[in-house]
Amino acid sequence: MILYEHEGKDLLKSAGINVPRGELLKSEKDKTSISFPLVLKAQVLSGKRADRGGIVMVENKDSLQESLKKVFNLKTFGEPVKAVLAEEKIPYTKSFYLSFSYDTNFRSAVLSWSPEGGTGVEDRKVNIVPFDIKKIAFPKDLPFPVEILESIVKIFLENDCLLLEINPLVSFFDYDGKEKWVALDAKISLDDTASGRHKNWQYSERSGTRVSEREIAAKKIDEGDYRGTAGSSFVDLDGDIAVLASGGGASLVAMDTLLSLGGKPANYTEYSGNPPREKVLRLTEIVLSKPNLKGLWIIGAVANFTDIYETLSGVIEGIRSIEKKTGKKFDFPIIIRRGGPREKEAFSMLKEVKDLNIKFSGREISIAESAKIVMEETRKYDNSL
Amino acid sequence: MILLPKNAKIIGQGLTGSEGRICLPTMLQYGTKVVAGVTPGKGGQEVFGVPIFNSVKEAIETVGEVHASLQFVPPLFVLAATLEAIEAGIKFILIGAEKVPVKDAAQIISLARENGTTIVGPSSVGLINPGRSLKIGGIGGSEPERVYARGEVAVISKSGGMTSEISLHLKNNSLGVSFALGIGGERLVGSDFADWLIALEKDPETRASVIFGELGGTYEERVAECVRTGKIKKPVIAFIAGEFASTLPSGIQFGHAGAIIEAGRGDPKEKRRILKEAGVLVAEKFDDIAGLVKEALANNINLA
Repeated sequence: MILYEHEGKDLLKSAGINVPRGELLKSEKDKTSISFPLVLKAQVLSGKRADRGGIVMVENKDSLQESLKKVFNLKTFGEPVKAVLAEEKIPYTKSFYLSFSYDTNFRSAVLSWSPEGGTGVEDRKVNIVPFDIKKIAFPKDLPFPVEILESIVKIFLENDCLLLEINPLVSFFDYDGKEKWVALDAKISLDDTASGRHKNWQYSERSGTRVSEREIAAKKIDEGDYRGTAGSSFVDLDGDIAVLASGGGASLVAMDTLLSLGGKPANYTEYSGNPPREKVLRLTEIVLSKPNLKGLWIIGAVANFTDIYETLSGVIEGIRSIEKKTGKKFDFPIIIRRGGPREKEAFSMLKEVKDLNIKFSGREISIAESAKIVMEETRKYDNSL
Repeated sequence: MILLPKNAKIIGQGLTGSEGRICLPTMLQYGTKVVAGVTPGKGGQEVFGVPIFNSVKEAIETVGEVHASLQFVPPLFVLAATLEAIEAGIKFILIGAEKVPVKDAAQIISLARENGTTIVGPSSVGLINPGRSLKIGGIGGSEPERVYARGEVAVISKSGGMTSEISLHLKNNSLGVSFALGIGGERLVGSDFADWLIALEKDPETRASVIFGELGGTYEERVAECVRTGKIKKPVIAFIAGEFASTLPSGIQFGHAGAIIEAGRGDPKEKRRILKEAGVLVAEKFDDIAGLVKEALANNINLA
């Protein structure tokens, strides 16, 4: 889960990291007690906010309402602006990019930093310093005080962050002549798999750029239930062939193959790890909830331990449940290619289903051959309409 | 990385759970020596004739030294179970659980480095070695021989299902498997493709390897690097999935936790290009894999 800037800053603040004084405004009519000049920052999950007009400097009270209205009505993010952070403006002398994350090259946590903060950091050289989270030690020659790094890495670890990025982290000399460090931004991504040990993660539903109702519903299936997985990955696509794939790898192979043949999938999703039939049932309902579908492709590898009878029973029950809810029968082609434990029972069960247009096969054909059948059958169906 | 010998002795942590009970008889039937199970509080019980102990230490004190531990432990308990096994001196641990937090994986990897432990996973489907009657984990289900024929090709995959799909494809093309392993599709894995390909350089049964990679991370790129620098000499055939994701916005996770394009890393097209440049045979289509393996075997007669 990605946190909004203001949520990330709350975490930083709670660990003693300075952030600018700020107020969260929920509508364009909200007043603020932050003194001018101030900065308005759209609270959205998408990046490049500055380039897209999401960060606006307000010099005085007279221009506040107009600027606020402008930011709330921005359409450049692909997601609505539901909140704006008003913050005091911090004059600074030094600015850095700083982040903590995990890196596949080192297979460890890394500190990334650049001597120049602000937008466009992807185009600048970033120094990457791997470190062992069991005994944290940083090189001595970094341009930040060690206490700052230690506080930030503590937040990173205690909150199971996948990414904690501060861009920019700035410093200036305060009245007392001491250098003061302030995080002007915060981008935090939490590791959802750790949610079971963070009962305090009570963040509202993310309505980010790409998140659809179906995606939110699909993600709920796995919540609090470790038995296999179903729907945790779900992406709405423009096409008309519903896809119910099994396995992370096989689902990718299936999508690549279908697209290479000119097929148009209506979604990406997968279930795997021997989920119970109820999970597959619910995912089937979501996959079939799109209007004007021309087919359903149930595709997976020869499973190692997923119970094929249970999971395919879940699919059929999902189809029945939608039929009951809508009062309509599915007449489009349903192409199944699957194998693995209890496949014989699964195939006898499918044989008994006479009122659906099911074509099933097992390991005798490949995923690619199954994709070809999907193309032929959906074309036939399309022509018959 | 340790290549386990024939008759390697295995213990199962969390063996009394439902997954352990499904998996255990399939391993025993394959000829794998599962000598003990460990579940705190269940010591004294037996599952399919295998004695259960309260701790790894207690198990080892009774059954003697073991070669490997296979975990059937829920994700948030994996770190503790791994620590227990490492402290008891076990040098090979296969972690089956999915959804292990990345922080825990990072700690496990660090512990393994300090102790010289081989870690497979998290989210590994298991390891199968037909020539040594070794089957560790759910891999192959109850009828592994229907998919895994004995042969001279290693299969190393980020995906459990595709480990079996590739092995089946090889079998359907009169080829067989010397060693098949799911490394897991996580961001951080205990051992990656290159670790195993380097270890298999010394395996007399393996003449070529197939890797199944996908979008995300840099483990495929490391294979290219090791082939280029000569650390991997036996032929490698690669299939990389997830090209369709390149057309979608970055930052979306597809299936496996590690299957995500972010910070300009993980594009499958780029992986293919880098692998090809290094001399790896890259299959454009899945059904082309066996042909490339045969080609590689024909060109490398002297390597065996």
